[in-house]
Amino acid sequence: MVQFLLRQPKMADSPLLSVHDLTVAFDTRRGPFEAVRGVSFDVQPGKTLGVVGESGSGKSVTAMTLMRLLPDSAEVTAGTVHFAGRDLGRLSERDMQAVRGREIAMVFQDPMASLNPIFTIGHQVMESLRLQLGLSRAAAKTRAEEFLALVRIPSPRDILRAYPHELSGGMRQRVMIAIALSCGPKLLIADEPTTALDVTTQAQILELLRDLQGSLHMAVLLITHDLGVIAEFADDVMVMYAGRAVERSPVAALFEKPGHPYTEGLLRSMPPLDDEDPEVLPAIEGNVASPFDLPSGCSFHPRCPYAWDACRLQSPPLARLADNHDAACLRVTC
Amino acid sequence: MLIRADNLAKHYPIMGGFFGNKVAGQVRAVDGVSFVIERGETLALVGESGCGKSTTGRLLTRLIEPTVGTVRFENTEISELGAEELRAVRRRMQLVFQDAGSSFNPRMTVAALIAEPMHLAGASAVDCRARVQELLPLVGLAAEHAERYPHEFSGGQRQRIGIARALALRPDFVVCDEPVSALDVSVQAQVINLLTGLQREFELTYLFISHDLRVVRHVADRVAVMYLGRIVEIADKATLYRSPQHPYTRALLSAVPAHRPGKARARTEVVGEVASARAVPSGCRYHTRCPYVMPVCQTDDPELIDLGGGHRSACHLVRTSH
Repeated sequence: MVQFLLRQPKMADSPLLSVHDLTVAFDTRRGPFEAVRGVSFDVQPGKTLGVVGESGSGKSVTAMTLMRLLPDSAEVTAGTVHFAGRDLGRLSERDMQAVRGREIAMVFQDPMASLNPIFTIGHQVMESLRLQLGLSRAAAKTRAEEFLALVRIPSPRDILRAYPHELSGGMRQRVMIAIALSCGPKLLIADEPTTALDVTTQAQILELLRDLQGSLHMAVLLITHDLGVIAEFADDVMVMYAGRAVERSPVAALFEKPGHPYTEGLLRSMPPLDDEDPEVLPAIEGNVASPFDLPSGCSFHPRCPYAWDACRLQSPPLARLADNHDAACLRVTC
Repeated sequence: MLIRADNLAKHYPIMGGFFGNKVAGQVRAVDGVSFVIERGETLALVGESGCGKSTTGRLLTRLIEPTVGTVRFENTEISELGAEELRAVRRRMQLVFQDAGSSFNPRMTVAALIAEPMHLAGASAVDCRARVQELLPLVGLAAEHAERYPHEFSGGQRQRIGIARALALRPDFVVCDEPVSALDVSVQAQVINLLTGLQREFELTYLFISHDLRVVRHVADRVAVMYLGRIVEIADKATLYRSPQHPYTRALLSAVPAHRPGKARARTEVVGEVASARAVPSGCRYHTRCPYVMPVCQTDDPELIDLGGGHRSACHLVRTSH
């Protein structure tokens, strides 16, 4: 029924999205700071890149930069974003508007904040179809129903007439996914898409996303703080800390042989579910670095069990550890 | 036994009618919950949002009054106490909340915040100051933090302040309500270690409320799984994680994301979402989502069935197989 979305996978090796040396600065009342500092990564067509990081790591700002939806207080001070061969930074606002929704779509943590409470679900799903694809009312309605069915919403016809507050959190997130996918994007940016949901609902939504990604051959940029979600869903991973990419790796290698002490610490501090449970969890000491008061050298050095004098002075670039596996740590560089 | 809940329930009226003065229904937030917590142990309450786990914690400490049911603390029936006696018992039961920072008065220093419960209990200023200096290092804060204000601290540090405040009156029993859920992943393990360390040092008894089954497996001695206001399964930790009997417990466990990639887990055996506490389903309240539903489940409300060794599960399937 959604035949037009079923693209054939292309054999090309060129990345769909290529971000190079991105730096984003904010000017706030507390002073200026850089939320993203020289981040580079690629997303391959049809693949999932997971971006892990804690609050203030710059993961969400990176996503908003790709969509060119940064607030006025922010400015891209360096770097480029290439999407399907075009430099997004050079597009006119009008051309960018065509990219948003149609080629790159986004799903957020809180679906209630993205849905308009005074319009029905049907109105909101159809709105994007009519605006982006220029469908007639009747055609948009048929397509909307198909998409609600695609995201496994029971009795889609009734849901079209419902208002957002009448749906549960999981159902609202399904509606958001339906809206995001309705124009057939090549890239879906999912920013903490399941964080606000209960565990059983989270599992259902992740399964849905994975199934749809396979059938629609769509690339996904999945932003999350949850390494478990990464383990299940991502092909490649980028770990961010204090605005920098500290590690990039295929997912299996990251969990098997983490290259950065921060990644290693995160993995170790996760309580196991089926293995031997340690009496004391191996925690990462200290607190998350504040963007206003970044430590000198490597931002992670005050919390790093391996830090030595040089770590206070140098901020190491990403260095090759193994195939497609890079870490920004002096232990790798030296 | 330190604390015992018997058939606790909390129903909230839903007001309707033109003037909003008619009772149009009931939200059965907690609907007949009984359990015992032994001295020095951690009982975890797990379940999804709206299952009544936080309400149960508040009922135990009598922050809210139960609709029916009783709570016994040592040998005192706390549901019958007057205000004065209740205050004396309550010193021995404290709470740690999810977002400690939001409950702090931003104009009070850390020292004043930690000492506030003591101050209200009538302790002298000298005693308060001494106790604060004793508590700060216990929760991993420095002596010079005492004169700072809450906004100067990170989320993890604010949670440490909240824990110090809860310990100020040397309680026996602490309700920890999602104590690490709002914290950054790298800080969660620190606060968990702090809580388990303090428990050992001061022989504290915990009711640990959480939706995170990984964290619960690490901290709990026994686990109670709640669904729509009821305990559907309770067992010691090893038994619950190794051989869960209730279909809902199995669904919860199967929904936890994997620890490592490649370990393909079975697809979640759960459909739909939590039913509403406004309209609790007939019979077994889980029957609307249960993959093993039988005709009896739609009509008969199963009771907790003893499976031996303190393992109890409220499921008709369990009854037929035992």
